[in-house]
This record gives sequence, C-alpha cells and structure tokens, in this order.
Amino acid sequence: MTLDERTKPAPQSGRPAGSSTATAKRILPLPVTGQEFVLIGVLIVLWILLGIFTPAFLTPNSIQPLLVSVAPIALIGVGMTFIIITAGIDVSVGGAIMLCAVIVAKTMVSVDIPLIGAVALAIVVGLVLGVVNGVLIAYGRVAAIIITFGTANIFQFLALRVFGSSTVNGIPSTLEVFGRGEAGRTLGVPNSFAIMIVIAAVAWWYLRHASGGRHLFAIGGNANAARLVGIKVQPRLLVAYALTGALVGLGACFILASGTATLDQSVGSGKELQVIAAVVIGGTSILGGRGSVIGTVLGAILVQTVTSGVTQLGWPSQLANLFVGIFIIIAVGTDLLRERARRKA
Amino acid sequence: MSADTPVATATYRLELQDIVKSYGGVRAIRHADFALKPGTVHALVGENGAGKSTLIKIIAGAEIPDAGTIAFDGSAKTISSTSDSIALGVQTVYQEPQLFPELSVAENVFVGRELKKGGRVDWKAEADQIQGLLDTVGLPARIATVPVGTLSIAEQQQVSIAKALAGQASVLILDEPSAILTDSEIEVLFTVIRRLTATGVSVIYISHRLDELFVIADEVTVMRDGETITTRPIGELSVREIAELMVGGVLAEARPKGSGTSGETVLELLNLSRTGKFENVSLTVRSGEIVGLYGLVGSGAGDIAGVIYGMDKATSGTMRLSGSEVVVKRPSQAKRIGIRLLPANRSAQGSFSFQSISLNIVIGELGKLSRVPGWVSGRVQRDIARDFVKRLAVKTPSEKQPISAMSGGNAQKVVLARQLVQTPKLLVLAEPTQGVDVGAKEEIHRIISNLADDGSAVLVVTSDLGEVLRISDRILVIRAGEVAAEFTPQATQVEILAAAAGDQTTEELS
Repeated sequence: MTLDERTKPAPQSGRPAGSSTATAKRILPLPVTGQEFVLIGVLIVLWILLGIFTPAFLTPNSIQPLLVSVAPIALIGVGMTFIIITAGIDVSVGGAIMLCAVIVAKTMVSVDIPLIGAVALAIVVGLVLGVVNGVLIAYGRVAAIIITFGTANIFQFLALRVFGSSTVNGIPSTLEVFGRGEAGRTLGVPNSFAIMIVIAAVAWWYLRHASGGRHLFAIGGNANAARLVGIKVQPRLLVAYALTGALVGLGACFILASGTATLDQSVGSGKELQVIAAVVIGGTSILGGRGSVIGTVLGAILVQTVTSGVTQLGWPSQLANLFVGIFIIIAVGTDLLRERARRKA
Repeated sequence: MSADTPVATATYRLELQDIVKSYGGVRAIRHADFALKPGTVHALVGENGAGKSTLIKIIAGAEIPDAGTIAFDGSAKTISSTSDSIALGVQTVYQEPQLFPELSVAENVFVGRELKKGGRVDWKAEADQIQGLLDTVGLPARIATVPVGTLSIAEQQQVSIAKALAGQASVLILDEPSAILTDSEIEVLFTVIRRLTATGVSVIYISHRLDELFVIADEVTVMRDGETITTRPIGELSVREIAELMVGGVLAEARPKGSGTSGETVLELLNLSRTGKFENVSLTVRSGEIVGLYGLVGSGAGDIAGVIYGMDKATSGTMRLSGSEVVVKRPSQAKRIGIRLLPANRSAQGSFSFQSISLNIVIGELGKLSRVPGWVSGRVQRDIARDFVKRLAVKTPSEKQPISAMSGGNAQKVVLARQLVQTPKLLVLAEPTQGVDVGAKEEIHRIISNLADDGSAVLVVTSDLGEVLRISDRILVIRAGEVAAEFTPQATQVEILAAAAGDQTTEELS
C-alpha cells in the first residue's frame, strides 16, 4: 500500500504538471517518511530471516494469526498517533479495553444481541471513556499522562466491578467475523486487519490533507503559537482522545473475537504499552508535532512479528520484550538526537 | 465596531490618543499618543520598562487600555481581543518566532487560515500564493517545502513576516527584529521592510539599536517612564539626542570614587570568544572591585557570564583566575574554584519554587554544612538561613516559607544569599534586579557593594543603565559581541547608551 501511494502523491496529478502543481506536491508533507522506509526494510529482513529459520513462518497458518493480533494494536495506535502528534499521551487504553470488553461480553452472555449491536455498544462505551479523558485534558488543562494514569485505574476498577467473578464464561460467537477462524477471513485476509487498514487509510488522509489534521501537528509543535493563529486547540484535543476511545471500543471487539469463549481479567493488560510502542517505533515523535499513521501500522506489525517470531523460533518469550525495548530506545533515541541537533543548529 | 464614520482627511493608518494603562497599582503607560502614517517605518524606542511593550500589546489587542482612543484610517475602533486587531490588519512579529518547527515553511505561513477546497487543504492554491510571499520577504521559493525547524533564526523571522503578510497586514509590528540578527541578515530585513512600505504597509519598528534607526526609520517616537516624550522625523535627531530623550535628566549616584582599585586581579579574560555570541573579549576584575558589563538585548554580555561559569564553552581565548589559567567545563567546577553566579532568570534558573527559603539558601553547599559527609543538619541549615534572612533583610515570617510565596525582590535576595553562603572569590551577577521593586533594588545594590568591600571580585552583567552606573567601579560596554568602550562611573547615561547602541563618535572619545 505504501509504495503505491508514493508514486502518486497528489490527488490532482491528472492535470498537466505545471510548476505550482510540482510545488503543491512538495509543500505536502511527504507521504511516507524515511523512518517508514527503514521500518519496511527491517520488516522485510525479519520476515526473510524468519522464513529461512522457521519454514512454517511464511505460511498462511502463521501469517493470518499474526495479522489478527496486529489489528487491535494498530487500530488503537491510529488514535494514539493523533494524540501523540498533539504532544499528548493516553496510558488508559489498557483499562479502557478491559472495561469495553467486559461490558460487551457480559451483555452478549445475558442478552441475544446482534453483531452490529455489540460493536455499537463497544464503540459507544469507548467513546464515552475517551471523551472523559479528552475533557479533563483539554479543558482541565492537566498533563495528559497524569489524567490518563488516573483514569486507567478508574477504568480498571469499573471493569473489575462489572466482572464480578474472575471470568465471564460462555461468550457466544457473535463477533466471530473479527476472529481467528474461517468466518473471520475474506479471501484469506483477516477481516479485522482489513477494517484496520481502511480506518488507517482514512486517518492517514485526514492527517495529511484536512486542515483539522494539520492543526494537530501545529498544536503538538507549538501549542501557544497554534492558539495565536486562531486554531481551536481544546476541541481538537478532545477529538483526538474521543477518537482513540471509539477505536478502543472497536479494538476491544477484535480482542474479544480473537479469544476464547471465556474472558478473564487479564484482558487489555499491558496493551497501552504495546500501542505506544507501535506508535513510537513508527516514527511519531513523543515530543509532538511529527508522526504518521503508516508508521504506526508498520510499528504494530513489527512488534507482533518479533513476538510471534520469538515463539516460533522456540526462544524464551521474554526475548520479545528485549527486542521491542531495543526498538523503542532506538526510535526515541534517534528522535531526541535529531531534536537536539536541530536546537543547536 | 459598527457605525464608523470615515474621515476624508485621515492621514494616519493608525492613531492612538491619550492612552492610559495600569496593572494593579502600577502605571505602565501614563500617557501615550502615537500616530502611524501609511507606508512608513515608525520606530518606537525607550529604556526597558518605558512602556513600549505595553503600547504594542494594546495595538495588538493583547491588552485593553484603561483610557484613550484608537483610530484606524480615521475611524474610531474598539480593540478588545487579538482577533479584533488582526481583523483590522495588525500583525505582530515577535522577537521569538512563533512557528511550528516540524511543519514546512508553506504550512507555517498558512496554518490557521488554510486555503481549502471541499474538506481538504488546497495545496495547489497555497503553492501558488507562497511563491509571491516568499519572494516579498526575500526567501527562495524552494524553501517552501523545508521544515521551519531546520532554518536559521533569521530565515524563521522572514517566514514570520511572510505569515503576517498572508494575514493581509496593513500594520506590521516588528518587536526587536534585529536583536537576534547578524549585520548581513539585518540588511536583508531592511530590504524586505522597504519593499513592504513601498506597497503601503506601515511598520512599527521596535529596537534598542539606535544606529540602525537612521537607516530604516522615517519617524521615531521616544518613550520614557510610561509616556511618549516626542515624535520626530528621524532626520531631525542624532543617536545622542535620542539617547538623551530616552534617559531624561536622571543622574545616578555612584559608588564612592576610588573603591576597588587596589586589589589583586582575580578574573582575567584574554581574547575570549564564543562563536556567534561574542568575540575577543578581554577584561579584568580585581578583588574588591565591581565591574559593570552593560549591553543591550542580544549584545552577548549575558553569554560571557555563561562561559565564565562553565554553562557554555568558549571557542577560543583564555581565562585566568587569580593568575592561573582555568578552563571551566561545568558549573560544579566553577563553584569549586570559588566562582558563583546569580542567574538572570530567577524563576527558571534560580529558585526551587516549592522549597523553603532555608533550603533555597543552602542547596548549593549541602555537602559542606556538616562534619558528617552527606548528612544535612537541620539546625545548621536553619541557622545559616536565619542569618541571611537578617543580614539581607528578607521580609518573611519564617525561613520555612516556600520561596514561591515571596515577592520578586525578596525571592531574588534569597537566590543571592545562596551565592554568599561561602564567600565567593568571584561573583557574577546577571540582571540582579530585574523584576525587583525599587526598595529591594536599593538593598540588593547595597549587598553587592558590601560584598566587594569585603574583598570579592564582582562582575555585574546588566541591561539596566541606572544600575550599571550606580554600582560599578568600572563599566564595560558590550556591543555586537565585542567590548565597545570602557567608562568610569562618572560617565553619563547618554555616553554609555550611545556606545551600546552604536554611536561611533562616542567610542572614539572614550
């Protein structure tokens, strides 16, 4: 997908290429950044190596579950990319996933709710949680990490109250179209992954071409200057957190679908770190003002590839943490070095 | 802003009359009149605190005057917000560029007022417009695609001007644009300004560098103590006359003549340079002597203090302390060899806001306050703090108060006390009385003077003209990173200001 986009960067390419059209192409932010090419390269190398050492890796039986596991991380990562571009962060997505998942699971167990109803319920719950975060951060003007750290605990508390007992059992297969099974695939591609790609593509377009998207970059680059040029900073921030909340809702459905008929209290645990890792490895600056959805999707694929690869190689699974940790430090380190070099110049 | 009655004979793009503005009980502007003709460059000058920034803020809509009238093109207007002001065609280019480092030049110019087609940004229309705008401000068209963060400060300023022009500026306020620019960059800026005025844009030009006004300005308005003193065509005045109007007839009482002339040399700088900041600075400070380093914003005087204390590295030259050569690599080393620095920015670099006065005083010497290494004795800490609170007349109910609860003057005394816990061999003070009330200023000056009398060498870096004359035994004027002139405290404010602002004749006289 990414390479195709690069060859036709501007929608108006049908016109004769005048000089201003050429400039229009160039004043556009680059469709794919250098870091994304590096990521693609790293992924290709990894996949080839894994293909050589574990012949089973490059088969549908291995790739399909990998893509299923990528889908919720990358999907929520799209929202997280918006947030981190504004120089914010949301560490409550793990707790929010847990709350969405348990509410939907319990509802499905007790009521015969159709697929569309379950998805809508999850998205509405997620949206509400995102709006809570967004309002507190944008209008309360408190640091995002503090607010979401607080709400993470509150969401977890609420989720555990809804759980009641330690597990929710006998979850019906309503959500199987997002699952690992045959019902979860179209032409061999997992539906959840395809849906994620469509949403990521829309988000990519919005960040690149819509003024609202560009304003997110402005806010993350210099919030004060953004205010001075008349950007409505607070509503924009609210939208970023609300969007993430809604995507958490859908992502929770993906996670429920890819699990068993039993939901336990570990759902969502640590997911916020996986999501943030995907965003950061994807080249979005933790300092705000720069980032891309494509990078986030690639970052999520990389993280899951490493996790799955370590398992398939029969290595101790904690090595996955080591590798992901190294990737994060390299990604953030190059970003900070870049920033320091620029400050000095 | 309705029912405006245009006056056919209007000759002013912008006219302010009888403006008054107070903050709390402090009169920032006692009385100001200001009239800006179309297509001219109107310089606004005055010492720090004369009321220039307040006047500019009123025009930009960031402050609302208590009294007075504002008229655009002859019709009275009410400006109650920055957006009112922008709607009337006022655009401000601040000294620190307000830009988005990661976004391209083109995006920076249009952000907040994007050209749109359907729901999306019309990149082609922006590309069409950006060419002309960049051309006007003297930047090459190819720069449109470059992230602003990679540009030089001068180029960023040009982008800021392009941004102002994209906002249909008819009045452009430039707040000390030259302070951060090199000579050749200033030339470019002037070319841009002339191009703008030729198209009818009026420019309000604020600067401390008086010499350049004669190159670029048509008229000059001088402010002093919250009043506009006069507005004259620039050709009717000289640098010296403007300086005289700025300082008025105020005379400072200096330190007793002959103080601090006999001690041993403590600090000696020999051709010290830090590229881009200052060049070939040589100076000496003797024990018991107070040397005043006077420079306007951007002169490089503050950077010299930073290098002496090891916050920045010198690129060439040598520094000697009590005769032996030293290379100060970091502040902890400077401290060890007996140098102390009172930083210019008290809140950012000087105080630990939520901590008590006593901790703020002893924080730098914690390890040395007790016989047991690493052990901090509350009693010793308290005694030292109480001693300083008394000696420096810090007004506080208790040394346990957090420093954040104190007024500027008292907080500054606390930060100053920290430098005196171990009597420094060399004390460097940067803007020691900035944001400090008059009473506390007197007392801080007395403390500094006493310290020198007790044998410390003192270097005061300041942009406060009255201060440098009052407390110095010797005055060095820094201009454009070089020592431009040396004066005795018997010099007049006018002589010093003229040397700092670039009047060549004064330099030769000294």
